[in-house]
Parts: sequence; C-alpha cells; structure tokens
Amino acid sequence: MLHSTTLHRSALVLLLGTALIAPAFAQSDSITIVVTDEPKSLDPCDTDLSNNARILRNNVTETLVNLDPANGEVVPSLATEWRQVDELTWEFKLREGVTFHDGTPFDAAAVAAALTRAGNADLACEVGLATLSGNVFTPEVVDAQTIRIKTGTVEPILPNKLSTLDIGAPSTPADAKTREPIGTGPYSLAAWNAGQNVQLVSYDGYWGDKPAIANATITWRAESAVRAAMVDTGEAQIAYEIAPQDATSANDHAFPNAETSLLRIDQSIAPLDDKRVREALNLAIDRDGLIGTIFHQDAQKAMQVVLPSVFGYNPDIAVWPYDPDKARSLLEEARAAGTAVDTEIVLYGRIGIYPNSSESMEAIQAMLLDVGFNVRLEMMETTPWLEKLIGPFPADRPPSALQTQIDNTEGDAVFTLPNRFTSGGNTSTIADPALDKLIADASAATGDERQSLFRQAFNYIAVDAINIVPLFHMVTIARVSPDLNYVPDVQAGNEIKLATMSYK
Amino acid sequence: MAPIFLLRRTTLAALALLALMTATFFLVRLTGDPVDLYLPVDASRAARDAMRAQLGLDRPVVAQFFEFFVNLLRLDFGASLWHNRPAMAVVLEALPKTLALGAIALALAFALSVVVGVIAAARPGSAVDRFINVVSQAAASVPDFWLGLMCVLVFAVNLRLLPTSGFGGPAYWVLPVVCLMARPFGMLVQIIRGSMIEALNASYVRTARAKGAMEGRVGFVHALRNALLPAVTVTGDLAAQFAGGGGVVEVVFGFPGVGKLLIDGILRRDFAIVQSSIFAVAVVIFLINILVDMLYAAIDPRVKVE
Repeated sequence: MLHSTTLHRSALVLLLGTALIAPAFAQSDSITIVVTDEPKSLDPCDTDLSNNARILRNNVTETLVNLDPANGEVVPSLATEWRQVDELTWEFKLREGVTFHDGTPFDAAAVAAALTRAGNADLACEVGLATLSGNVFTPEVVDAQTIRIKTGTVEPILPNKLSTLDIGAPSTPADAKTREPIGTGPYSLAAWNAGQNVQLVSYDGYWGDKPAIANATITWRAESAVRAAMVDTGEAQIAYEIAPQDATSANDHAFPNAETSLLRIDQSIAPLDDKRVREALNLAIDRDGLIGTIFHQDAQKAMQVVLPSVFGYNPDIAVWPYDPDKARSLLEEARAAGTAVDTEIVLYGRIGIYPNSSESMEAIQAMLLDVGFNVRLEMMETTPWLEKLIGPFPADRPPSALQTQIDNTEGDAVFTLPNRFTSGGNTSTIADPALDKLIADASAATGDERQSLFRQAFNYIAVDAINIVPLFHMVTIARVSPDLNYVPDVQAGNEIKLATMSYK
Repeated sequence: MAPIFLLRRTTLAALALLALMTATFFLVRLTGDPVDLYLPVDASRAARDAMRAQLGLDRPVVAQFFEFFVNLLRLDFGASLWHNRPAMAVVLEALPKTLALGAIALALAFALSVVVGVIAAARPGSAVDRFINVVSQAAASVPDFWLGLMCVLVFAVNLRLLPTSGFGGPAYWVLPVVCLMARPFGMLVQIIRGSMIEALNASYVRTARAKGAMEGRVGFVHALRNALLPAVTVTGDLAAQFAGGGGVVEVVFGFPGVGKLLIDGILRRDFAIVQSSIFAVAVVIFLINILVDMLYAAIDPRVKVE
C-alpha cells in the first residue's frame, strides 16, 4: 500500500505538470478555428477552393459584391452600385476611402489588375479556371472609383460571377502565385506557419466596422473526432465538418452547405440507355430510410442538383417515391423489350466525399440488388474517381452510376448546368440537343425568362431524361463553443465570417 | 573506422537510392494525374491540357524520367504543386520534427523496455512477468490510430491534462510520443525479456555467479550487455521506420512532420513532395544504419566494422 505522503507527492507532481502543460485557453479577443485541411494557397485568385476561400474571403480579401446568404441576392461590398451599360458592358462604382493592408488605396486599377490576373492562363487561378471561364472579361478604368467590364459574350449575371473574385493589392505579383495576400478586408495576414496554422490580425485601417475579435488562428486537423474534441477542451472555438457519429454535443450545429448529393447515370451505355431502367434506379431507393441514419437527419430530399436558394430552382418537381415493386416491373418491362437488364452496372463511389459515403453506397447497392439490379460497388480514392467523373470517357466503359455531389454557392443555375448537363460539358453524361438549347437560352436570358428556362432544364434532367438519381441537399455539422455568438449559414462552407463573431 | 567501409556503404547506398527514386518516380505516376486533382472540376479540357504541358506531364514518361534523373543528380527536386515552393524546402522543414519525435519516442521506449524487460526476466513465470507480458503484447499490437484517438479522449477531453493535438511546447509532444512508443516498447520488452532469460542461464553468467559476483552486477553487466544486442538490432530497424514518420500518428495529432507530409503528398498527387520526402527519408535511413552498425560494434567487441 502506498503511503499518504507518496500519494500527496504524486498529486503535487501531477498538478504542477498540469499547470505547466495545460493548453492555452482562448482570450476574449482571440479565436481559433479548426478546419479539415491546410489551404492550398493563400492567393486571392484561388478562392474557388473552399479551403482558401474560408480563410481569405471577407476576412483578408474582399470582392466587389457579396451574395446574401438568405436569398442569394447580390449585395454591395467593395462596389456600392452597378449597372449594365449595354449588352456587353457592366459598370461598377467603387467604395471610397478603402485601403489595402499595405496602405495603397483601393481603386479601379486594382480591380482591373485582379481581374486580369485571375484570367492569366499561366497562373492557373482557380477562379479564372472555374467561375470566369468560358468568356472574355476586359476591364476599362473610367476613373479611380469607376470601372467598366466588357465581356466577350453577353453576361447577364456578371455581378454574381464577380462575387467570387477576391481582390488583392496591386503589389500582388502578376506572374506568380503569392503566399502573402494583401487585401482590403477587416483582417490582415499575420503569419502562415506551414503545416500548423494561419494567423490573422484585425486591420486598423479597415473601412467598415472594427471586428470584435482581434486575433484569429485557423488550424487544421484531419480527424473529425480530434476537431470536435478541440472545441470541448477550449483549444478551438469552432470546428467544421464534424462527422455525424462524432456530433454528440448540444454545441453541434447542422447547416445546409450548398451541396447536393446524387448519382450521375451514364445513360449512353446499355442497359442504362433505357429510360425505364433509369427510372427503376430512382424508384428503388428508400430516401426516407437513409435520412437520419446514414445521412444527417437535417438533410433534405432532393429532386435537382441545386438548393432552393439558387436562382432557377424548380419547386414543382416531385421527389421520387420509394416504390420497389414498380422498379421491379419496370425492369421486367425493359427485359421483355430486349434490354439487357442483367448486365452488371458499376456503382462508382468516392471514399470520404461526405461523411458515411461508403456506408451510403453500400446501402444503395443493397436497395438496387433488392429490386433485381446486378450492381457492383467500387469505392475509389479521389484521383481515380476524378478520372471517372471528368471526360472524355473511354468508349468501352461499363455501364455505371457515379456517386458525386454538386455545390452552388454563386446563387445562379448557370454555375451548375452547362458543364454538367450539356453535350460539351466535361463532366456531362448526357448529350441532348434539346437540353443544350434550353441551357444555352437560359444562360443568356434575364429575369423571369431566365428563371423559367432554368426550371424547364432542371425538370428535363430529372424527369424527362432521368440523367441523375438525386439524393439529398446536404448539411455540414460545425461544433461551436457555447460562449461564442456565431451561427453558420449556407455560405459557411466557403466563408468563415470572422467579423460577425463575438464572445457572449 | 575503416574509410573503405564508409566508401563501400556510401556507394551501395547511392545505388540503392537511385533504384528507389526510379521506382518512386514510376509508382507515383501510376496513381493518377495530378491535373485532375489540382484544377477545379469545371476547368476546361484546354486548361487541363495547358497545365499538363506546363508541368511537362504531356511528354513521354521516358523523357520525363530522363529529366527527373538529371535533376536528381543535381539534387533538384522541383517545386511542390500544393505548396507552390521548392519541395525540398518543405520537406526539410518537416523532417527535423519527425526525427525529434521518433528519437524521443524510441529512446524512451528503449530505456523503459530495458527496465521492464529485466524485471520480467528476473522471475520468469511470476505474476509480475505475466502482467508485463500481457501489457507488452497489447502495446505491440494496438493500432496507432485507435490508441491516438483514445489518448485524445482520455487525456485531453476528459482529464484536460494535455492538448488534443497540434505543434508547440513540450505538452504537444506527450501524446504523439506515447502513441509512437507503444509498438517499439512492446516489441523491445519481449525481446529483452527473452534474451535476458537466455543470458541469465548462460554458462558465463553461471561462472560469474560461482566466482561470487554480486547479483546486480551479474544481471546488468554480464547478462544485459549480451542481451541488448538483439534489442539494438531491432531498435535500428525501428529507427529506420520512424525516420519516415509515424504517418498515422502525425495525421491524428496534426503534427507537421514528414510522415504527414508524405501522406498529404500522395493524396494530392504532389509528385515533387513525394519524391523529395522519400529521398530525404532514405538518406536518413542510410545514416541510421551506419550508426547502428557502429553501435553494435561498440557493444559487442566480436563485431568489427570493416
């Protein structure tokens, strides 16, 4: 038996040790936020990647306009007003009294430089390659506070597109990516400790309200359980992307993340070239059974690949019912008509595309087998999966359905449809001239006509062509420290709104 | 030490390194195209082709290999796609952290296992011996990943004694070290216990006892010295493994070492990072092997380095 003095001594040592090594807890003007991955770069032109945008957007760098998270409406940021001068020209009036973190004034020349830079093919900017691709944008400086942007083809929603163009200081190198972004935002970059964290500090010369929190650290951990634990221990105040099985605390908030999960049907290969077979795929899936079990209970059943907040969303498409008997009879009908319904169909899944991605595909495979499909599941790591996602596709490929999810944070259907559902789209498995025309017309139209055409396109994809097995509008879970005022919104997947945060 | 020994070892190591780098070059390219991963899904085919051309990935693999080989001879590993700076610079930032982590874990595992192994060997079959056996076998077989998460749960979340993860002062090293220690500790206890029991029954120990040597002296000077030899060999192998980083442990704890870097590099198809990490680690392993040989010679006078 141990003597009591030994016990006391051990306790003392333990206590001392604890005092020496206990993690530093947050102070009222500091915050630590944990995400999944280190940013790829901190270049303002790479904010099409959410890892980068989360750190930069509206913290370090700002855009001409923002989108209202509630309704997707374009709202002022560095531009105070804008108008379409003619079909190919837009004009933006810029906010006065704005300075970059290095002291240089923000003006039209800075916007022109940022736009030109993002479109520089040699730099391979994410924004230039994704959001701004497919058109030519020529900036014209009218005066210091006025910029005109000419477009190669008509661009009815240029302001939406420019909500993704983060504007760095003119001193940003024009011919190389930077790791030291200089923006106009409420925070400037204090340090990027490679492999460890990014530190931001509030910028005294900010044009807007001074944020309540002066110092922010953004760090990353691969493990969901570790991220969640960091909020419990006070090492972090917000942890994003908590897996459902780790979301066991009252401090976990689920928020829609602008992603829609689906299976993309490769409809040019038999037996999936038979519409009855594609319909059977949809009817065989028990979506209600997947919600609250494998998918989060707040996920919403989907019928199209964008959320209701996106311009062009069609509220009138009915969600597929779960009808295994009808699925079986459709398969029989197709078989009777000579379709080789017993051919093996490959279900391509991607490991970790969302929490429980493998489990969801296993469940779906079981449901498909149950109605008589011959389905083989193949779960892949990201790179081989991308080879299946992005064309051109080999002619001798097997019939397949591919697990994917599509996000739209830009608020308009044009950011989703052309690349994924037209004949020329590099991730499209549908080549239908009628749909091509619908999407092209919608993309060029404005107002009610635009909305109506996009709605028709969504209906065509889901009901007429049945190119997809829509699953759910997805949610992400964030754990937020109870002493923090912060409610993640639909943009939280792409934006950590530091300026809106404060301690209670 | 004979210079001829060093020269021979270095030549052999250089050849092995070239073979390893050749294999790495081809294997990493078999895993897929970085351009698909690097560019946004919406990027056009033209943009993809342009980037492939820019990275030289559109050329025949043989031509790419030739250029890689020439650059390798000049120790030029190219720029990391992900980090956008020289890959070797990124690796050299991460490597010392991994080496320190591995060295601490291994030194502690070795020291602890000698004490525990000797205690177990002193009374084979006793309750203490059986307890040590169970614990050491469990330690040798527990998965790093699970142990890491359990440590976070117990010591960080419940007891609030240590930070969950990250990199910083001594506190941040405790859990990664403990998790990395587990397997070598378990293995070394088993080895030391076994060789110690054997040594204690050997004729030279019996002779020493017969001549009236003190029991402690018999155990620690005569027997342990010989019993340590297999442990040193295994420790050398373990050290070589650790040079590559406890990848899983580093990932769980967000420890910015070379193991995590290598895993990230593979997942991101960052060829330059993968190639330069493997090169740096291979050089370290070569140095460790030479050190182990020298240590072996120091412990056992019958072994000569020549």
